Amino acid sequence: MGSIPTRFDVIVVGAGPAGAAAAYHAAKRGFKVLLVERGRGAGSKELYGGRIYVGPLRDVWPGIEKEAPIHRWVVEERLSIIGDGEVATLSYRYSNPVSFTAYLPDLTRWMVSKAEEEGVVFVDEVRVDSLVRDGEGRVIGIRSGPDVAYASVVVDAEGANRLLLERAGIVDALDAKRAPIALGVKEVLKLPKGAIEDRLGLSDGEGLSWLIAGTVTKGIPGGGFIYTFKDTIAVGVVVHLGHSVNAVEAGVLKESVKDLVESIRLHPYFKRLWRDSDIVEYGAHLTVECGLDYMPPHLAYDGLVIVGDAAGLLLNLGYTVRGVDLASYSGMLAAEAIAKAHDLGGMNAENLRVYENMVKESFIYKELVRHRGICWLTKERRFFTSYANILLGILSNLYVQEFKHPTVFEAVKASIRSGGEALLPLIGRILKVVREL
Amino acid sequence: MRVVVGIKWVPNTQAVRFDPRTGTLLREGVPSIVNPHDLVAVEFALELRDKYGGEVIAITMAPPSALKGLEHVIGMGVDRGILITDRVFAGADTLATSYVIAHAIRKIEREIGHVDLAVFGQETIDSSTAHIGAQTASWLGWPYLYYVTKAEPVDGKLIVERTLEDRVEVYELELPAVVAVAMRSRKPRPVRLANKIRAKLEKPLIIWSNKELGLDPRCVGLRGSPTVVAKITFTPEVPRKKKIYRPRSGDDAAHWILKSLLADEKASKILRRILGGEM
Amino acid sequence: MSISDKSERALSIDELLQRNVYDVDDEPHIIVDTEKCLKCRVKPCTLLCPAGCYTLSPDGEILFSYEGCVECGTCRSICPMDAITWNYPRSGRGIYYRFT
Repeated sequence: MGSIPTRFDVIVVGAGPAGAAAAYHAAKRGFKVLLVERGRGAGSKELYGGRIYVGPLRDVWPGIEKEAPIHRWVVEERLSIIGDGEVATLSYRYSNPVSFTAYLPDLTRWMVSKAEEEGVVFVDEVRVDSLVRDGEGRVIGIRSGPDVAYASVVVDAEGANRLLLERAGIVDALDAKRAPIALGVKEVLKLPKGAIEDRLGLSDGEGLSWLIAGTVTKGIPGGGFIYTFKDTIAVGVVVHLGHSVNAVEAGVLKESVKDLVESIRLHPYFKRLWRDSDIVEYGAHLTVECGLDYMPPHLAYDGLVIVGDAAGLLLNLGYTVRGVDLASYSGMLAAEAIAKAHDLGGMNAENLRVYENMVKESFIYKELVRHRGICWLTKERRFFTSYANILLGILSNLYVQEFKHPTVFEAVKASIRSGGEALLPLIGRILKVVREL
Repeated sequence: MRVVVGIKWVPNTQAVRFDPRTGTLLREGVPSIVNPHDLVAVEFALELRDKYGGEVIAITMAPPSALKGLEHVIGMGVDRGILITDRVFAGADTLATSYVIAHAIRKIEREIGHVDLAVFGQETIDSSTAHIGAQTASWLGWPYLYYVTKAEPVDGKLIVERTLEDRVEVYELELPAVVAVAMRSRKPRPVRLANKIRAKLEKPLIIWSNKELGLDPRCVGLRGSPTVVAKITFTPEVPRKKKIYRPRSGDDAAHWILKSLLADEKASKILRRILGGEM
Repeated sequence: MSISDKSERALSIDELLQRNVYDVDDEPHIIVDTEKCLKCRVKPCTLLCPAGCYTLSPDGEILFSYEGCVECGTCRSICPMDAITWNYPRSGRGIYYRFT
């Protein structure tokens, strides 16, 4: 195949929201770009919770609100804490929605079609096996089976499961006990027409996001989620993987992660919402729990920049998760940095570290730093077990009374005592949670 | 050698679901794939080309979405692809399909060059008729063999092996000829980066409609299709017991299987009926 | 082909995976050295693989099947024995997500 041109200015590995954005913006700046994807078409290997914040995406993808396959705008947030039989729910209705739901495979296909319109050569069904480096360690291309393609710079957008960076020795082999990673598992339920609107009190095109804490994860840090799409609902759980292994070792977790999702789907409080529904898909994906701790030592090396989940650019705040917008935004920054490095004389690490600085000065990094405290929460098992029960206990003390209602303070005190906690340290921890959030 | 290989763009039947209440097939969001048995035929054709030179042309009659399928086999190493697509071809049974394929092969001979061999998969996963190879050969008047596992050109002829349950037959075929390759007789090679880049940059694809082929509309598509599917029913899924046994030897395995069957009321009845007095 | 089922009952992992689209590769993309599993006390893969690819045989051996794999990478990150050689499938094969 000697006649085939295998030299590009930029090669992007992974056609997700980060890779598609990097390819699109690099091509827009006149670079010859190859975008390589292991799946069949774009998006076919992607799975996420279900909600995307539109703000940063407006800069990355002009016209996204008009053209992209958006399902519903999230007009309501719900947060439920569930115990063995009780449920406490908090809800918030927006005046102006800031996020939407979409099938990520469809949205990604739209992004890649935009990139192709700009001249990106998009190649699917090809698994990249390794980064190719020269004698001095500079990344000069990619290898797939017997084939090599060369580029001045490679953009690594391989996602949270970083086989290429591991093989290149840039990050450690993935180890759940050390890395801040979680497993998301979800089911997609197809509902009868109009059922989502009727059962959840939504109008046409309105959606909701619903996070669930409490016993759903059997005390493992994590939680459940529900998102609404056009005629489907996604139901799932996210569990911290290191703690999950500990729970298996300790004999606390005796059922499979699939059963955790099933227990939400079949929970008496929730199951009425999707009566007469048909499960049309089931899947799972790794996600980053605490972005800064997952970040590689650098975001740019000689001939290489790292974007999206692979760079740890995912914000998990407990009450909301942001990944797609951050990923796409970082892809755009990478393309800008590549253009700057080109003007500075080449794709060496020194020039490409412009990208690292751009990320650090952007809202992405500032948000990750500002919310760093959330990482502490993911290690605080009590938050996911006894605290949930204490809160439910307070509510049941207040409400489950036939003659004499306690004062709020009495209800709080009684519930904390029966939860085996002392009042003052608990208040201290709650204040810490509030501060970190 | 110039080898033409026919492929079919079929729904991934594994993903089609059946609604027992309405008796309909649920095909929403079910993606299409290249018929897996045709990938075996592609591999067969590529092996011939790699060994004896020449080119492999993939051909398919389908809606434009089948270009993805042609790109897939070009990714495996096929030299070029021809998509035959036209609304008048829609609704074709195997007779009308093979009529179009045969005329497309004639057109390849007129415009690209002499064709030595046409290769097909054994059957498709979405209809399992195994007609196309035989019918195309009939239209062309070329010799035809199926269940083919091996082929080797010798002195302008093709020495072909077909593997049957109890024997291997060896034939000498006059070329040009048509063969259908035995399913699972070889593993299709993976898609390669260089081939995929070539597919994207060089676009070695030709699209023919009936404007180019000029076939009588009465012989193609729904109008040219005498086949009537009277009824489709589905066999209920039988839940499997999924027992796992690691035998120490062949005898041990046979012993365990027989013991398990005899323990099952239904199976043991059938066994006793077959074996009669021997038990 | 699987049957559409709207009943409210817990589904087995096989029933759930039947809802997915796969184009299964002829060759497994993940290799498990099950000899190493014999020495593994915890076997977290049997509970944490979301596709139930790792099951326990009656005599305590790990049985691995790659066909239902959803390519998440959990197993390789939790295996205490380093028994897993992990990769993605080739040629676009494996899981094909549509509504995720």
